[in-house]
Amino acid sequence: MLDLVLDAIPLAIVASVPLLLAVQGELVVQRGGIINLGIEGTMLVAAMTAVLAAQATDSVLLGFAGGIAGALLVALLFGTFVILLRTDQIVTGTAINLLALGLTSFIYRELQQDGVFVDSIPRIEHDVVVPLAWIGIPIVLAILLWNTTFGLRLRACGENPDAVAASIRSHRALALGIEALLAGLAGAYLSLGLSSGFAENMTSGRGFIALSIVIFGRWKVKGALLGTAVFGLAAALQYAMQAASSGIPFHLLLALPYVVTLAILCGVAGRVRAPEALGKN
Amino acid sequence: MLQLSHVTKSFGATRAVDDVSLEIASGGIVALVGENGAGKTTLMRIAAGELAAESGSVTRTGGIGFVHQHFQLVGELTIAENLALASSTRFRFATARTLEREAETTIAATGIAMTNVSRRVADLSVGEKSKLELIKAIAKKPATLILDEPTSVLTPYEAEELFRVMRRLAAAGTAVVFISHKLPEVLAVADRVVVMRGGKIVAETRASDSTAEDLARAMVPLVSRSGSYDDKQNPEGLPREGEIAAIVGVAGNGQTELAARLRDRFPDAAHIPEDRTRDGLVAEMTIAENLALRSSRSWNPREAARHAEEMIALYSVRASGPYQRAGDLSGGNQQKVILARELSHLSHRSHSSHESHHLIVAAEPTRGLDIEATRFVHDQLRAAADSGAAILLITSDLDEAFALADTIQVIYRGTLSERMTPDIASGKVANLMAGIA
Amino acid sequence: MKRALSGFNRSLTGFAAAAVAVLLLALSGAAFGHSPLELLTILVNGSVGSRFALEGTLLKSVPLLLTGLSVAIAFRAGVWNIGGEGQFIVGALAALLASRWGVAASLLAAMLAGAAWASIAAAMRLLRNAPEVLTTILLNFIAIHLLGWCVNGPLRERAGQYPQSDAAAAALPLFGSVHAGVFLAVAASVAAWWLLYRTAEGLRLRATGFNPSAAKWAGINVKGQLARAMAISGAAAGLAGGIELLGVTHRLFERFAAGYGYSGIAVALLAQLHPLATIVSALFFGALVTGAGELQRTANISAAVAIFGQAVVILVLIGFERARSRP
Repeated sequence: MLDLVLDAIPLAIVASVPLLLAVQGELVVQRGGIINLGIEGTMLVAAMTAVLAAQATDSVLLGFAGGIAGALLVALLFGTFVILLRTDQIVTGTAINLLALGLTSFIYRELQQDGVFVDSIPRIEHDVVVPLAWIGIPIVLAILLWNTTFGLRLRACGENPDAVAASIRSHRALALGIEALLAGLAGAYLSLGLSSGFAENMTSGRGFIALSIVIFGRWKVKGALLGTAVFGLAAALQYAMQAASSGIPFHLLLALPYVVTLAILCGVAGRVRAPEALGKN
Repeated sequence: MLQLSHVTKSFGATRAVDDVSLEIASGGIVALVGENGAGKTTLMRIAAGELAAESGSVTRTGGIGFVHQHFQLVGELTIAENLALASSTRFRFATARTLEREAETTIAATGIAMTNVSRRVADLSVGEKSKLELIKAIAKKPATLILDEPTSVLTPYEAEELFRVMRRLAAAGTAVVFISHKLPEVLAVADRVVVMRGGKIVAETRASDSTAEDLARAMVPLVSRSGSYDDKQNPEGLPREGEIAAIVGVAGNGQTELAARLRDRFPDAAHIPEDRTRDGLVAEMTIAENLALRSSRSWNPREAARHAEEMIALYSVRASGPYQRAGDLSGGNQQKVILARELSHLSHRSHSSHESHHLIVAAEPTRGLDIEATRFVHDQLRAAADSGAAILLITSDLDEAFALADTIQVIYRGTLSERMTPDIASGKVANLMAGIA
Repeated sequence: MKRALSGFNRSLTGFAAAAVAVLLLALSGAAFGHSPLELLTILVNGSVGSRFALEGTLLKSVPLLLTGLSVAIAFRAGVWNIGGEGQFIVGALAALLASRWGVAASLLAAMLAGAAWASIAAAMRLLRNAPEVLTTILLNFIAIHLLGWCVNGPLRERAGQYPQSDAAAAALPLFGSVHAGVFLAVAASVAAWWLLYRTAEGLRLRATGFNPSAAKWAGINVKGQLARAMAISGAAAGLAGGIELLGVTHRLFERFAAGYGYSGIAVALLAQLHPLATIVSALFFGALVTGAGELQRTANISAAVAIFGQAVVILVLIGFERARSRP
């Protein structure tokens, strides 16, 4: 059992990079008072635009840029509805997910006939994304959120917007922009780094898992890292157990982190407090 | 520093501020006193530019600091962070330590004692929170400082500290405006006292030329009659059947909490909530549906419409019919629908002997209503009492209390005074409400 | 001032949103070189153009109608039940387990399981103040993994070939190729309408959804109301799962839910949360799904355009609603 776990660790570290990036992005917007259910769709679109850009330019770097651009477009749509029109965040996020799933599947099939997506894509040679996701970005975010005046005001936006003298809209929009950046990176890494191309619904619920991890980690960067490690390890163990046909019911193991998150939400492991203004327009 | 001339502001049909002119010079403390709803806060929010006046002009010299009655703080953040939030909006790096050092400097400059700035605001006492609000306002070095009921949550010691700060600021040239209804402290700290009533300035004197009784009388115009307390009744008890018992007080002294407590304790009684638009009716539903909300009978739209038509006629509600959306009715007609629902709910149970089945709790039943609707509500309450209901009337309108009530109690900072007959009450109410007695 | 739209205006808004969705679909097709007219023809013919197509549309509409009702009831009461997917799954699981006692017992079990699953979220909200938006989503994942475990483990078919269950011991009676679930679904929406608009319970439920504070002052037990609304909503989604199992798939497999829970949101919003309008709305989306399937078969256009259509409908409706109600 122990060696199974040890073997799973390297895989978990790499495979959970998209998840980790998404968690950190969602953490930023939720600290500002927005719950973005649409992060799943944002990543999915980014995964597709990244492949399209990489194939068109034959450059991994531009592929990642394309992923981020796609994510920014989706965030722009979400932000227009939620920040400008002040629509319900949950319903809007759900719509964004459906839109992304429908649109990417449609375009995928259309372009597949033209040979796009079939051709190989350029490979990542030096994988800087892994250390970036696990070390670089967490440090930057921790500094941004807790050691700058922007972070201070953003957190206040998520707690009590009345107490913020600056524009709440622009702070939340910026937070959405940061999330799009990270979700774009996540989507691009998923299609360019972890797999060799795009597949329909390839994010397969990572956005929702990210949402759970933000709660699991109690809206803190350290918690986000720990939560991703737990969820990532559980997923990696599933593969290992499947391969070893160990007889342990790995599906139940997969459900376990969600049960733990539910318990955390119910305050079983001490006080848990979502940002006060979260989800309120 | 601050000059208001012929300022007028209305909310709906009520004129909150009515052609007021006021000049506030630097280097003095002006107290603005009056009953709740007299227009003090509205006037000052116009002065500070938070609200726009309909007519009249405002001239401001220098910045304005406004300490609101409701704290604008973020509980999850520390004292230092809350102070940083109030300062510039420039982007910069700042560790917790930096913010704390800056906060300490800021606080020292204001001369107010506040230690350990790394504490979470949610963990502070109300007095400390209010102090923090004051620091936030003073830190910007405003030419005019407006304090809205700052002492309502302070201990006497904390209030004394606040007064020292106010005097020091005034001595240094700041114009200080102090909104209050606690007359002794007003007289102790202010140089000039301005009394408002019904949106107008009704008196203006030097504090040294005035007494608390004078000011109370100017705030609440009642003829004083003599008499003695009627101690026989239990102040905590409910009114007897056929009796209207009024609880009067300046709003914010625990009336809302009292009404909510009575609602939870006597769910079967009739309740007329204070906040009509939020708690009274479901705006999105029809009159018929709203009237049926309390009914224990099964819901049948046709029967409900027939019942609603009856009620509309009986309570002379001006509506297009039972299917009109409740939210589209005027305030007076909404109140009539609430009365219709609550009173008919009660009459259905009047055969029961349980005490709460005769109880009506009416909180501010005529606030914001026109004369005709007010008279209608009063007539209904009287008629209900005549037919055996026990009515608890919670109101900040003294005229209403004296017009209707058999007994009167004053609520002040959550505590009820003894129950008095109107004759006795008339001489005591003003002082009790202002916290003098 | 927020004003209620008249029933006529409301249906007009719905039709407009549906039209925008279809139009955008055609335009997207055109962007990739398909003739919009041809695309629309296939879409219409594939969904309502033949007896076979109509039956397909009807079958697809059934789960959509029930999950749509589930969302409509929850949203009407002001609870954010995003857990239709999970309730759908546990409903089907319970139906499978109870199928040996016949169809009626099986469907009853489905409703009870859906209600119980939803009630977990309600209890967490009422007792521990955990937002149901998050807990229902988490419960979806737990249900999905529970299903995965079941079809790979204890409920795996005896032949042991695929990760799927054996066929349920009972099946809904067929009328042609349409199962009796169609009538159950329509009956459910009439029942939901009756509940919401013809009972005191429904009156209180709607009042709680519009204004919980006023409902409390009117003597309504708001917490009890929320708990019951959540249970009823969960029962509808559970029934959807049970009917889908006994009428269409007969077996359980990992991707059984296929997003019906989330699609319910689009169905309910297009119907403006009205149970009878939900029938029309579910038929529209059922037709869209079926027509899209035909698009995939004959024109090689992804059937996922139906999901795209759902998204456009939601966005148009909520965008319009907010833009209209702004001061």
